[in-house]
Amino acid sequence: MKDTSSVVIARIWNWRITAICGLLLAIVAIAAVSFGPIHIGFVQVFKTLVGFPDGLSNQSQTVIMQLRLPRVVLGALVGAALATSGAVYQTVFHNPLADPYLLGAASGAGLGATIALTSTHHNVVALLPLFAFLGGILAVLTSFFVSGKFFAEPNTLLLSGIAVGSFATAIQTYLQQRHTAQLRPVYSWILGDLTAASWNVVAWSSIYIAIALIILFTVAKQLDGLMLTDGEAFSLGINPNRLRILAVGAATLATATAVSASGLIGFVGIVVPHLVRGVTRRVTNRSLVSIALVGAAFLVLADLGARTLLSPAELPIGVITAFVGAPFFLFVLRNRRKANIS
Amino acid sequence: MMTSGAISVTDLTVRYGDKTILDDISTEIPHGQWTCLIGPNGAGKTTFLNVLLGITPYSGSLQDRGIEVFRNHRRNIAFVPQSPAIPQGMTVSEYVTLGRAKRDGWGKESQKSRQIIHDILIQTSLYGMQKSFVSQLSGGEMQRALIARALAQEPDLILLDEPTSALDLHHQISVLNKIELLKERGVTIISTMHDITLAAMYAERIVVMQKGKILLSGRADQVIHSSELRSAFDNRIDVYTLDSGRPVIVASKDDIR
Repeated sequence: MKDTSSVVIARIWNWRITAICGLLLAIVAIAAVSFGPIHIGFVQVFKTLVGFPDGLSNQSQTVIMQLRLPRVVLGALVGAALATSGAVYQTVFHNPLADPYLLGAASGAGLGATIALTSTHHNVVALLPLFAFLGGILAVLTSFFVSGKFFAEPNTLLLSGIAVGSFATAIQTYLQQRHTAQLRPVYSWILGDLTAASWNVVAWSSIYIAIALIILFTVAKQLDGLMLTDGEAFSLGINPNRLRILAVGAATLATATAVSASGLIGFVGIVVPHLVRGVTRRVTNRSLVSIALVGAAFLVLADLGARTLLSPAELPIGVITAFVGAPFFLFVLRNRRKANIS
Repeated sequence: MMTSGAISVTDLTVRYGDKTILDDISTEIPHGQWTCLIGPNGAGKTTFLNVLLGITPYSGSLQDRGIEVFRNHRRNIAFVPQSPAIPQGMTVSEYVTLGRAKRDGWGKESQKSRQIIHDILIQTSLYGMQKSFVSQLSGGEMQRALIARALAQEPDLILLDEPTSALDLHHQISVLNKIELLKERGVTIISTMHDITLAAMYAERIVVMQKGKILLSGRADQVIHSSELRSAFDNRIDVYTLDSGRPVIVASKDDIR
């Protein structure tokens, strides 16, 4: 039957894309570990990663295992978290321009981080990720409560997210102006950086991001229902509000974790879902795994650029993602209009 | 499939804030028949449909075969809204397959479902368009896709909110004929409809609503010729009977300024 074969092909096509995305991430990751002030060959990097570092100096092994690898892993985690959250926000809010920072997560985290950085207590500075995380979560919760009913009116929620975000940014700017000595670290944090990457940071952020991604991948197929009206979703067996709260909650957890580990890295959450959708031509939430993998690869690559382009100086990674992401985004948009799948 | 029993509505009231949308209504809607809700704008028809679906909270009682309907997912019910959301990037085939999600699980499709969807696509004249995006469909095609998805659910009860409002005359009849086929399978059909002539053509029972109350309900032919129907529309409608015996209901031209 013609119909059956087309369904099977569509499925293989999807798996093939996921496999290609995985391969892409692997190649980019090995390249990112390999390049830097000390160049280490691909083969040696690969051997070291699988546990056979024969012939490699201790210094090179330390560079791989303690400096570059945690940074690559953290970049991949953050990229996967931001891209997946962006895709989920776009689906839940029926808005192709929704990004993970929409409900105030970024501004809240920014405020939390600024409070930590401008604090006179040294101990508080060390708690920056925690402050950023709590700031992000609190801002999103405030957006929800200010908007009244949960999701009764998605646009009201978006608007209250903008208001809460502006409020947090205002306080953050005030704090920044009061503590001009800390202007530089605050500014560099806001533009995003992965320089703080260590196995310690990887360990705690991977737990939260993994929990969030597992939830999102589990409910990904059901998110189809959120693209319909609530009545239709209900008749298809979904409790739309419960699913929205679960999806947005998990996406916010991933975003807040990503922000607290690496600062504000823009554009990944918008560009990557659109890019993957342009290639797979499938509903965003049906390509969530591919989106996570491409997001990871994109950010690892951007970080490679950030630390090698002006070496030994480092560019903020947010500059790279926007510099590459914006033109690329426009290119995809133009092509998508041509293909008329918008 | 059960066709016996009825949906019993007892002292049902729906309020949004201090506004009463449905005001203490009681009625019985028999299973296995087509019941049409008619009435002027603001009568509460769509709200009544949402209450019957189980998503709108109410006071009073609304039981379907003895089960209170609010947020009850055990019922096998299909819903065709007046203004559906159009999912971006979803193909017709994927859209219709959503109707099987409750049976097969989300993102899964059994061999049986594949066959059923194949047949439904032919039945709704959508075969050959499986890979088109629903966002590219015309109004009539989208309405057929909605009906196809509802058919794929193999529902016991189908609720339709103005199923023909977006369609030209030919497609109105074509869609309503497809819905009517469901009766052969014992499916209960409840729809709202602005076009009373069409309601009289298809529905066995008509419920006339006005300002959140049920003015009259009963067999279609009796309701059409009743004085209550006229008063629901402030006597601004005329009922004519064609030689074939079919009633035609039109707005009185002279009364409308």
